[in-house]
Amino acid sequence: MTEPRNPGMSSTAPVHPDATSPAVEMDPVEYTLRKRLPRKLPKRRNDVYVNMKTDFRAQLARCQKLLEGGGHREICVHGLGLAINRAINIALQLQTSSQGALQLAANTSTVELVDDLEPEDPDEAGEPMTRTRNNSAIHIKVFYPDPQ
Amino acid sequence: MFTGCGVVTGQNQYLTRDVAGPHPGLEMNRPIQMGNGVTPGSCNVYQGQTYSSSGQPAVNVNGSSPLKPAPLPVPPPALKLGQEGFKKVCRTEEDGPCPFPGLASGVLEMRVKEGSKIRNLMGFAMARMQGEKCVSGGGVSVGGLRQVVFTGSGRAVTKTITCAEIMKRKVGSLHQLTKLRYKVVKEVWESTEGGTSEMTVHRTVPSISILLSKDPLDPQEPGYQPPETLTALWEEKEGVESAPQTACKRPCGPLPYSTFTHCKRVCLGEGVSVLPSH
Repeated sequence: MTEPRNPGMSSTAPVHPDATSPAVEMDPVEYTLRKRLPRKLPKRRNDVYVNMKTDFRAQLARCQKLLEGGGHREICVHGLGLAINRAINIALQLQTSSQGALQLAANTSTVELVDDLEPEDPDEAGEPMTRTRNNSAIHIKVFYPDPQ
Repeated sequence: MFTGCGVVTGQNQYLTRDVAGPHPGLEMNRPIQMGNGVTPGSCNVYQGQTYSSSGQPAVNVNGSSPLKPAPLPVPPPALKLGQEGFKKVCRTEEDGPCPFPGLASGVLEMRVKEGSKIRNLMGFAMARMQGEKCVSGGGVSVGGLRQVVFTGSGRAVTKTITCAEIMKRKVGSLHQLTKLRYKVVKEVWESTEGGTSEMTVHRTVPSISILLSKDPLDPQEPGYQPPETLTALWEEKEGVESAPQTACKRPCGPLPYSTFTHCKRVCLGEGVSVLPSH
């Protein structure tokens, strides 16, 4: 039972769908569930979630638009995993382009991600397994400090 | 210096890719004539680019715009330089002032690099924080440090955060202070063939410093994060989920990550509005 599962199970590296069927192996369903927005945040329009798929400049422009046009005094930039670097870069860019008027406050957290592993071969005698892993996330508040 | 940049247009084009946007501290508003479709405003100019020979290898950047959204700390320029027969000789970081105000000297500083192994880092840091009573050869016996700083830049940022999170989980109730800034890294590349041409690249990378302290810190400081205290609270809320996640350290509210359906149920029970209208 272990041999056929090996290609799937040997993917201890973060690449899950290596020798097996692609997206099903990674089970985006449960992964997406875990990646849902934190509870209160979906209703806040000044939240920006950064990812690696969207153009960097587009995300940067969106943040700038929220700060300048949207009238928000602060926005919160979130990044998970590899997007942490991009989130930090966006926040630092916002700060430099504001000539120091903006301030940054960064918080970090851990997010649990769950992957479902399903045997590639339906005839295989193996049941779907789930694997949990942790990932780091960063939340950067970009705000105009209150005038003292 | 800037005329030099104008000469090697091709290289500048891809060298700009790893930092999108203007460099802090550089006057980038000079009109720079670059013939490769690089808009001057967005071109990042590197100081200190020295060329010891004029035989620069021709660079083929296949029409990609310089500010393509490459993952920023991952340097595509490095790949291109590597492909062009360049090899990185050395890399030095310019250490800026300590970003934490009023930090006591002698605090343990863990510098996380890209290739650092987390278990090595954590082994060392945990031993120091949890107090090693054993003394090596009659030296100073450390009865457990109160504070530790994790710093990392470029590709090591995520690893830095991970180390800090692991430490927070193992050593509970630590106060955290996080600071972000840019760091200038100087790299020297030289050509593998011939070894005559050499390039010094100044690259600005984002860097993070995380201070973890057993002693309370100033909560008014931007970037302050209190130790997580609401694990028990989540355990009763998160009946469906598995073990609760560590504190969601967002300034707005200490609510954990969860599924949407679950969140609606629990939120309504709490009386917290999750209506989309603001």
